[in-house]
Amino acid sequence: MSTLTRPTAPERLVTEQRAQANRRRRRREGRIGWGFFAPFAILFVLTFVIPILVSIRSSFFTEKAAGDSLYGGGGMVETFAFLDNYAQVLGNATFWEGMGRVLLFGAFQIPVMLGGALILALLLDSFIVRRVAFFRLSYFLPYAIPGVIAALVWTYIFSPGLSPINQTLGSISEWLTGLLGNNVDLTIDFFAPGTIIASMATMTTWTFMGYNMLIFLAALQAIPHDLYEAARLDGAGEFDIVRRIKVPMVGQATLLAVLLSIIGTVQLFNEPTVLAAVNPWMGNDYTPMMLAYSSMMGTTSPSGAGPASAVSISMAVIAGILAAIFALVQKRSTR
Amino acid sequence: MGIAAAATMLFGVTACSTGPATSGEEAGPNESITIDYLHRLPDGEGMTKVADIIAEWNTAHPDVQVTATKFDGKAAEMLTKLKADVKAGSVSCLAQLGYSEVPTMYTEGMLENVTDLAQGYVDNFSAGAVALMTVNGETVGLPQDTGPLVYYYNAAEFERLGLTVPTTADELAAATTAAAAAGKYAVAFQPDEAQYWLSGQTAAAGAAWFTAEDGKWSVDVSDAGTAKVASFWQGLIDTKSTLVANRWGDEFKQALVDQTLIGTIGAAWEAPLLAGDMAGSANEGQWAVVELPTFGATQMTGPDGGSGVAVMKGCAHPAEAMDFNNWFNTQIDPLVSQGLVVAAKGAMTTPDSIKSFYGGQDVFSVLAAANESLSPDFIYIPGFPAVNGDMVKAADAAGQGTAPVMDIFTAAQTSAIAALTSAGLPVAK
Repeated sequence: MSTLTRPTAPERLVTEQRAQANRRRRRREGRIGWGFFAPFAILFVLTFVIPILVSIRSSFFTEKAAGDSLYGGGGMVETFAFLDNYAQVLGNATFWEGMGRVLLFGAFQIPVMLGGALILALLLDSFIVRRVAFFRLSYFLPYAIPGVIAALVWTYIFSPGLSPINQTLGSISEWLTGLLGNNVDLTIDFFAPGTIIASMATMTTWTFMGYNMLIFLAALQAIPHDLYEAARLDGAGEFDIVRRIKVPMVGQATLLAVLLSIIGTVQLFNEPTVLAAVNPWMGNDYTPMMLAYSSMMGTTSPSGAGPASAVSISMAVIAGILAAIFALVQKRSTR
Repeated sequence: MGIAAAATMLFGVTACSTGPATSGEEAGPNESITIDYLHRLPDGEGMTKVADIIAEWNTAHPDVQVTATKFDGKAAEMLTKLKADVKAGSVSCLAQLGYSEVPTMYTEGMLENVTDLAQGYVDNFSAGAVALMTVNGETVGLPQDTGPLVYYYNAAEFERLGLTVPTTADELAAATTAAAAAGKYAVAFQPDEAQYWLSGQTAAAGAAWFTAEDGKWSVDVSDAGTAKVASFWQGLIDTKSTLVANRWGDEFKQALVDQTLIGTIGAAWEAPLLAGDMAGSANEGQWAVVELPTFGATQMTGPDGGSGVAVMKGCAHPAEAMDFNNWFNTQIDPLVSQGLVVAAKGAMTTPDSIKSFYGGQDVFSVLAAANESLSPDFIYIPGFPAVNGDMVKAADAAGQGTAPVMDIFTAAQTSAIAALTSAGLPVAK
């Protein structure tokens, strides 16, 4: 009786030992856990946290010549500028023009690209397509081509003298001119100030549509197939399944794809940089990212790490605000 | 995510720029020291390679070994790399700098004052070029090559059209108008090269945009020389007598090859490049070069590029570095093979490949003469690289005919003042 209610001394010892062993195991597990976490944590701090902190710090400083003679004083001194760099960025018409360009670009390019990506993903997820692996890889392939190389290829396709598109359109124009009697010119100036944003949008859509398709396809394949069977039993056709099950179920994936696209758009750099090499009128500050780069390289004023960091962080804040607005709107509309 | 990506972009610049650190080691009595040299020489086909030139030095100087590294990016990127390396204490002892970049780097404290060490060597180089490597009375290195503007033209086409070779800007404008009547262009307006190409022309016309006034910078483009260059191009653009094409675009090269473009104002270093552009075409053997038609009162030309080799701040062995610097930059024939009009005194022999393209002409004697007539007054301000973007944009608009040519120079003035103010340097109001 007493053995049931009160543990004997040896029994107490055993419980004590067990508890100790448990604590030891937990500590060891904790150490192992931290051990597994460490590679990520160290890399995260080194390549993510520290650069961000350095960049934020540097955005509050400017470099000025050490002396006030013609050539300064043989060195630069870093001076605390507080919000001067930010005031400079926010009051800089070039920055806002660039921001306007990338937003205009995004307003058209993101819906077209993601719409196309969703359609491709739905096609691959349907029963129409065989050899899904082949198509999946071929749609994704443009993303695997380095951005600058892709931009160079597109520059050739768009280049006024060499464009195969314009050569075709040119022959059609000639044929039409002969047919109709009056002068027809269907050729497109892809590099004109009014059309270059559309040309860039074409380039990025080509690169990223397959990438976004993969995001959608993964979401589609995660949908349990018994949902489709249940719907079919209820008499739903394939289009009903797409409209009522598949599209609503990829909502989270859409959110991710849009957020990534907004960030990518605000940071637009490769395409305009390559195009600016053949279209000098674009300058070296056509997009905010190009402005940041030129500030850093000393090819625009104000230059240096401080102004460049301020541009970068302003871009990040704007991208963050846009992403937050979109996430909120989406949350509201799905509720 | 956005912040991170933007920040890593900035940080990446510093992160990828840690070059080999060798300049800091102290040499023992029997140890050799190593000098690093960062350059942007072309090292192309058929040229005497930099590595081969340096191998010769290294064999003769077992105690001072030189390692040359070619920088493949843009000039502005090399400056950023050098700045990061100086801060990290791992910079190359010697680095190639464009003359227009020297004041910028000097103001940023990136260069060693080697005035005393240079005394024994400066007489080996043309005085004008040495002046370009001297800032604020301090010599920071030795000159390598110069880029005086000259005029290249297709002599066979000129003869066929009955055009005389121009010696003044007005004659050039007349020849251009006459050529245009026959469907040819005797000059090309090059928006992408606006910064140095056009400022060089104003220098040839006697302009000096940047002058010192009571210890402050005075920036002024309202002189007669600049106005002359503006009106020269304005007239040709208005009458569509000039080709408007970017120097590094396909259209320019195409126009050369198919002989629509039969003349161009270009820097001396373009001689082998033009020959290369037109290699294998009917142009071979037809071209010739003359000194730049005069834009001002006297035979004078302006600088379009050219560089020197500077001693970077923190170089542990400046004496040995300058010794090599002098030796390397007086290797006239190998440097000429790299397409350079060398700053060193001494006769340059025109390489055969160039001679045959230019109809047997002794091209380098003309280029050397042009070098002698470089304007001594046109200097660059610290921050001049930042003036490029605005000038090129304005030049493109001028080429399209949507803005006057003079806007390019007004843009240069505004942009130059912004660059000086941004660096905290005194500007005269």
